[in-house]
This record gives sequence, structure tokens and C-alpha cells, in this order.
Amino acid sequence: MTPLVEMIDIEKHFGGIHAVNGVSLDLYPGEVVGVLGHNGAGKSCLMRILSGAMRPSAGEIRVGGKTAEINSPHDARDFGIETIYQTLALADHLDAPANLFLGRELRTRWGNLDDKRMMEETRRVLARLNPNFRNLGDAVSRLSGGQRQVIAIARAIYFNAKVLIMDEPTAALGPAETAMVGKLIKQLRQEGVGIFLISHDMHDVFDLCDRVVVMNRGHNVGAYRIDEVSKDDVLSLIIKGALPDDWTTRNRERLQ
Amino acid sequence: MSVASSEVHAAANASGPNAETLHKLSALLTLALLIAIFAFGNAAFLSVNNGLTVLLQTSVIGILGIGMTMVIITGGIDLSVGSVLALSGTVTGMLVKAGMPVPAGMAAGIAVGALCGLANGLVITKMRITSFVATLGMMLIARGTALQLTGAAPISQLGEAFGRLGNGALFRMVEKQPNGLSKVIFPGIPYPAIVLLIVAVAAAYLLHRRALGRHIYATGSNEEASRLSGVNVDRTKIAAYVLSGALAGLAGNILMSRLVTAQPNEGVMYELDAIASAVIGGASLMGGVGTISGTMIGAFIIGVLRNGLNMAGVSAFIQQIIIGFVVILAVFVDQLRSRR
Repeated sequence: MTPLVEMIDIEKHFGGIHAVNGVSLDLYPGEVVGVLGHNGAGKSCLMRILSGAMRPSAGEIRVGGKTAEINSPHDARDFGIETIYQTLALADHLDAPANLFLGRELRTRWGNLDDKRMMEETRRVLARLNPNFRNLGDAVSRLSGGQRQVIAIARAIYFNAKVLIMDEPTAALGPAETAMVGKLIKQLRQEGVGIFLISHDMHDVFDLCDRVVVMNRGHNVGAYRIDEVSKDDVLSLIIKGALPDDWTTRNRERLQ
Repeated sequence: MSVASSEVHAAANASGPNAETLHKLSALLTLALLIAIFAFGNAAFLSVNNGLTVLLQTSVIGILGIGMTMVIITGGIDLSVGSVLALSGTVTGMLVKAGMPVPAGMAAGIAVGALCGLANGLVITKMRITSFVATLGMMLIARGTALQLTGAAPISQLGEAFGRLGNGALFRMVEKQPNGLSKVIFPGIPYPAIVLLIVAVAAAYLLHRRALGRHIYATGSNEEASRLSGVNVDRTKIAAYVLSGALAGLAGNILMSRLVTAQPNEGVMYELDAIASAVIGGASLMGGVGTISGTMIGAFIIGVLRNGLNMAGVSAFIQQIIIGFVVILAVFVDQLRSRR
């Protein structure tokens, strides 16, 4: 099977600082890959490169096996890569439909905004995510964190993303809302969407991810199937940049 | 989830479903109150003639205010409109004086305004200079250019055709009387007021029905989010400044045409009236908020205030003081309303 996305030997320098240092990773359909690491480990930077918000200093990105030039968020979207940002990139004064379609508004034959159709489509896609969602005409600044997150996710799935990048999707949410996002991620995985999940929450990571990639000081210090590692192993990778010393023996025992 | 959403429902209902409408209503009420007070003080205030005078006086500030509103919604400010107005008007005057037909000369003047706006937009987006500083620079550059071009002297004797836009009127009805004199039955709707109406409708259409308008609101609301959503933020901002500059050019032509003289000294501090109109009308200098109808109400509040105070014999200095208080009061009321 061809991976949805391959990032090969990606480098990103800011002056003398190497934020990302020769990192490679890939993502297959229907797979959730956790991208983990300290703040400043380079994981957000790596994901920003994939989402077109930042250009790499060197390296190659392939989408569906073919080299892809991603120079802007627009390019990334054309390749089916959608990003849900940690800061919930929403325009606070606009309502849900205006946010969902921001940058790719539906228009009538005369080029006018087709607000009626955008409202209908928004209602349709939100009904699937959260049937309780009613305040569609309100400015999104009036909505709860969970509702805002739902809009951000709706924006990604409405346009049939093949690859979804989720940066701390549950950081601002309460337990019930977190559970809902978790359910949604599993649902999208079943539909064959590939997901990069940036998270600090070990519970989320072990609940949702198929694989984890750990970054430390701009390097990829480990990529494992989730059943190969324990929480302690992952924490050790994040903090020390290496597995615990007894991992090999312990894992050999477990695999036998 | 259901708990969270019902809480939001309650909060939304408590502060009203649409705060913008509420602000507009209170501004409209203020306007009605002003008119009532002035009418009570002086019966002539409500005459058709005086109504048309207010329309005429307000149209220049109104047109500037519309351009200003679009810029303010993007989160910026345009301090150059008063000077650009003067530069555009003088360029038109010079071209007409040199023998260019009036419509072509006016088109050229408006184009000069648009170019100033383009320069503002490029400096702000490409050189990454804040709008306050960039347009402050343009304010000096445009004013200086207008003064340099004319040697600070007004250009007069521009011919009847030059004065038509500012002084003409639609549906003007004049009756020839038997004694040979003519009597004005209805003075007509001044062209400047008609231009204002057309510009206001067009701008409201642009802001609410076109993608560019949506992007103007989005950019002012959350610039980074708009950029990440694929909105071309730079182009959106540049468009707003170009429109503001072109409308300043249009306002300049109307003003100079009304005077039938190109005055390089005209329009000093007009940018502040334009900003005041937008702000009284509910626009937020933080960006993302503002409407054309609100700005129109704001412009008329200022226009009616000036006119009514003039008729009441209040000095121009006191007028400034009063308008200053009105601006602060309008924003304060707006903040009270939006504080939850």
C-alpha cells in the first residue's frame, strides 16, 4: 500500500537553530500516528511544514507516492491535507458557516456569496458531528470550546481531507467534549482518513494512536507501533530522547 | 456537551441575539433625538432646504467614512484620506484647467486617490509597517504634493461643467413666473447625496454578498486564522486601502466641484470625522466589526450636530468640543453593551 504522505529528510533552520533535523515519517490510510515531544522539540514545526504554513529548508514531501510542492496552506488543501490548529484558527466575529467555508466560499452563478447553501451544508455536516449544535448563526466567539472545536473539525472533514493534522485537539476541552473528539477520530480512521495527532495527553495517545513518532531537539528519536511501547517508554523517549535501558530485554520477553 | 451548549444558549440570549443591531438602533435613536431637539429649537431646521443642506454637507464625510469603515474592519486605519482628498481634487483641477474634459479629469483624480491607497496597502503588507504609521506618512506626502503642485494657491475659474457634480441636483423643479423671475418649487436631490447613496449600497453589497467583503471581516477578526484558511490576507488589505483611497478621490472631486475651485488646503482633519463616523456607527478599531449602515448613521449624527449647532449659533470651537464628547460617549456605550 502506498502511504498517504511521506516526509523525507525534512530540515528546518532558523538562522543557526535547527528546529527540525533530517526527520522522516509516513502515514498510511486509516492510521493515527501520534507526533510527540516536548514543547520546542520540533513537532509543531514539522506539522506546519506539512500544512503549508511554513516552508522546509530541505527535504521532500510526497503525497500518494508523488513529490508534492507545498508552498501555502492552499496548496496543502489541494493535496487533501487539512489542519486543525491548537489555537482553533477561527474568525471570532463570523458565524459557523462563514468559518467553515472561509477561503473557499460557495458562490452563486453571479459570484455572490451563497449564504443559504453554506448554512444548509454546515447544518448537514455539523449534524453528523454533534446533533445538539444549534447556534449556527451566532458569532463563533459566543460558542463553547467544544463547539468551536467541532467547527474546526467540520471544516476539515467537509472538504474530504485524506490527511488530517490535529494539533492538541483536546487541550482546551472538558472531559465530555474530549470523549466526543476521540470518538470522531476513531470514526474518521474507519473511513480511511490518515491522522497526525499532536498531543501531550498519554491517555489520548494510547487510546487513539496506531503508531507514535517521538521528537527530541529536532530529531526523530523513535517510531514505534503503539503495542511495542509502554507509557513509561514513551515518556523516556520524550524526556531523554532514548528508550529506558531495559526496554530491549523487557520487550523481547513480551514479544515471545 | 449538552450542558455546555445550553449554557452558551443562555449567555447568548442574555446579551441579545444580535448586538450589532442593538448598537445601530441606539445610534439611530440618538440621531432621531438630535433632530427632534434641533427642530424644537428652530423650525427652519426641518425645512426641505435645510434637509438637503445636511445631505450635501454629510455626503463628503459619508463617502470618506465608507472607505474608512472597510479599512477599520480589516483592523487597520487610514489617516491619509483628508490629504488624498486634497491631492485628488487638485490633480483634477489642474487637468481640467489644462483643457482635459471634466469627466476624464475627475476619473484621473480618482485614479490618483486609488494609487495613494495602493501605496498605503503595499507599504503595510509588503514592508510590514503598521497602518497608523504608513498612512500618517501618506497623509504628509499627499498633502505636500498637493501644495507643491499648486504652489499652495487655489485653482479657480474651472468652468461651469466642473461645478456640476457638486452643485447640480436631480428632479430640480423651477417655474418661470410671469414677471420673468424663476421660482424654485423643489430644489432637487443634490448629486453628492445621490453619489453617497450609490457608494453606500455598493459598499454594503461588497461587504455582505461578495467573498472580498467576507475576507475583509475575517482578516480583521483573526488575521492568522484567515491566512491559514487560505484567505489572501495581503490582497484583501490592499483592496481595502485602494477602495478607501479611490473614495477619498471621489469625495475630493465632489468637494472641489462644489467650491468650483481646486483647493490644496481642503480636507484637513477630515480623516478624523471619517473615523468618528465609523466609530459612532459601531465599528471597532480592533477590527472585524463595522457596517456601512452604522457608519452612515454616524456620519449623519455628525452632520446633523454640525448643522443644528450652526443654526443655533454655537461657535465652531464649541462644536468640536461637543463632537469630541459624542465620539467618546458612543464608544463607551458600545463597550458597556459588549461587556458581559
